[in-house]
Amino acid sequence: MIRATGLSVTMSGRQILHDINIQVKPGEWLALLGPNGSGKTTLLRALLGFQQFTGSVSMMGATIAGGPADELVNIAYVPQRPELPAGMSVTEYVALGRARTDGWGRESLSGRQVCERTMERLHLTELAERFVTELSGGEAQRAVLARALVQEPDVLLLDEPTSALDPQHRLLVLDLIRETAAGGVTVVAAMHDITLAAMYADRAAVLDSGRLTLAGQAHSVVADPAFAQVFGGSIRVVVIDGLPVLLPLPMPAASDIQGIAPVNS
Amino acid sequence: MSGKRIWNWRVTAGFAALLALALLLAVSLGPINLGFPAVLRTLLGSRDALSPIDQTVLLQIRLPRVILAGLVGAALATSGAVYQTVFRNPLADPYLLGIAAGAGLGATVAFVLGGASVGLLPLFAFVGGIAAVLVTFVVAGARRSDPRTLLLSGVAVGSFATAAQTYLFQSHTQVLRTVYSWILGQLVVSDWPTVAWTAGYLAVALGVLFAISRRLDGLLLSDEEAYSLGLKPARLRALAIAAATLATATAVAAGGLIGFVGLVIPHLIRGLLQRATNRALPTIALAGATFLILADLGARTLVSPAELPIGVITAFVGAPFFLYVLRRGGRQ
Repeated sequence: MIRATGLSVTMSGRQILHDINIQVKPGEWLALLGPNGSGKTTLLRALLGFQQFTGSVSMMGATIAGGPADELVNIAYVPQRPELPAGMSVTEYVALGRARTDGWGRESLSGRQVCERTMERLHLTELAERFVTELSGGEAQRAVLARALVQEPDVLLLDEPTSALDPQHRLLVLDLIRETAAGGVTVVAAMHDITLAAMYADRAAVLDSGRLTLAGQAHSVVADPAFAQVFGGSIRVVVIDGLPVLLPLPMPAASDIQGIAPVNS
Repeated sequence: MSGKRIWNWRVTAGFAALLALALLLAVSLGPINLGFPAVLRTLLGSRDALSPIDQTVLLQIRLPRVILAGLVGAALATSGAVYQTVFRNPLADPYLLGIAAGAGLGATVAFVLGGASVGLLPLFAFVGGIAAVLVTFVVAGARRSDPRTLLLSGVAVGSFATAAQTYLFQSHTQVLRTVYSWILGQLVVSDWPTVAWTAGYLAVALGVLFAISRRLDGLLLSDEEAYSLGLKPARLRALAIAAATLATATAVAAGGLIGFVGLVIPHLIRGLLQRATNRALPTIALAGATFLILADLGARTLVSPAELPIGVITAFVGAPFFLYVLRRGGRQ
């Protein structure tokens, strides 16, 4: 359970987040939506405890008061722009995620098994001996996710986890996150693709200039007319085969395209 | 912590054996060649294996010099490896980042102010080195910058420090001679007191670096990930930079400006072991010591009875290696 109450962040005199209140239950997946610069990454960093904030965040009963998440909560974090160390193999890189459990520079049998299973699940086994710096964008993103998952976290914070992936691997990764959440892990993910957010996330919270403007069931949040307004009215959400799809304006009148029903105008 | 150590200690032991061999070789060879068995017996405590003169050559001239070379090599290689991790830059090296030049400037200030005569040389060098690394780092725009930006910034800082150093000793001619002989490499005049203070400072610097070596791997990740794995990345980075700069400053104070050791050795060891991890730090230290002892042996014997500055030998090996790493990095 994550509960953020009155969470605000100010950086070099500018307020980035205003009085955010969110609650995510174990096993639940919350998608953070909103335009670039709306504060999604800052909120994730604050939930991690890495970013100073005012207000309070409690996680699995532990309170993070703008300081370290300490040993009580095992939080894994997937940054939008991860660092890929030169000269490090995929195996070695993924194994870094075990440091919290096994200790830095140490290895346990169970840890190795977790790494092998996760790498197999993310189609990384055949890349095991490759240097992480030699991976394609999508392969690297899977390696970064694997590094986070072998941490066996209570809370998984993801910043655009699928932005560099092709459609096939996008679904593979999201299925795996879904599965991780089903195992009782609390997931908070900043996402750009609202179709996938509606498909996979349980709930969605929409940030606009650092304020929480909409929250609720992922499906209904993106269908809300107010959602498009967050993007300055430059987008239109249409429903195709029951799934919300975000389209930029201008676009042909929705009624001209068969099978598409506008949900806002 | 439920895991077991995964470093292969036989690798480290192998490099320790290599170091012992290099040391034995280096103290035996020179203008006067001393026999291995007699040298070994003398080192183990025998007082009649060598003639009194040879014994003095061995114990008062060669041994302190070789040990000092080993200490300096270990310091430069280890700090190079640590800078490479902390700056996430495979081309980082105490020399190329301008840190050694900053330490050199600090040391020159010590000579001018008279601090060098009271064992404060490494502390002055440390202040100069820290100032240089901070300026290099800030100018390069912190850690997301292109690796080459950091190096260019290091080159500029290094040039500035060298210019300031030249100005200082030209305007204080009374220390000109001392500073010059020091710049060319102080290993020539090494004695046991120098070995003692070098070992003292390095015990602290390398002790800290070895103690945090395995956690340093976390700094290869983004700060958020490192933090999520229980590290305090900013604090760890500051500690690593401080300790590596103390090691560099001590090496510069004891041996003058010796380039490329911090670049060549970490790459060689990590390449050899196919591991990027900092668990290799003690092995890198041993290999750095071995390398510099052999380089010093070359400096003493190649043009005997004259001597080459040791930096010439390390640059001969290191500069082509740097170009190789640069080229390989450019292809990625």
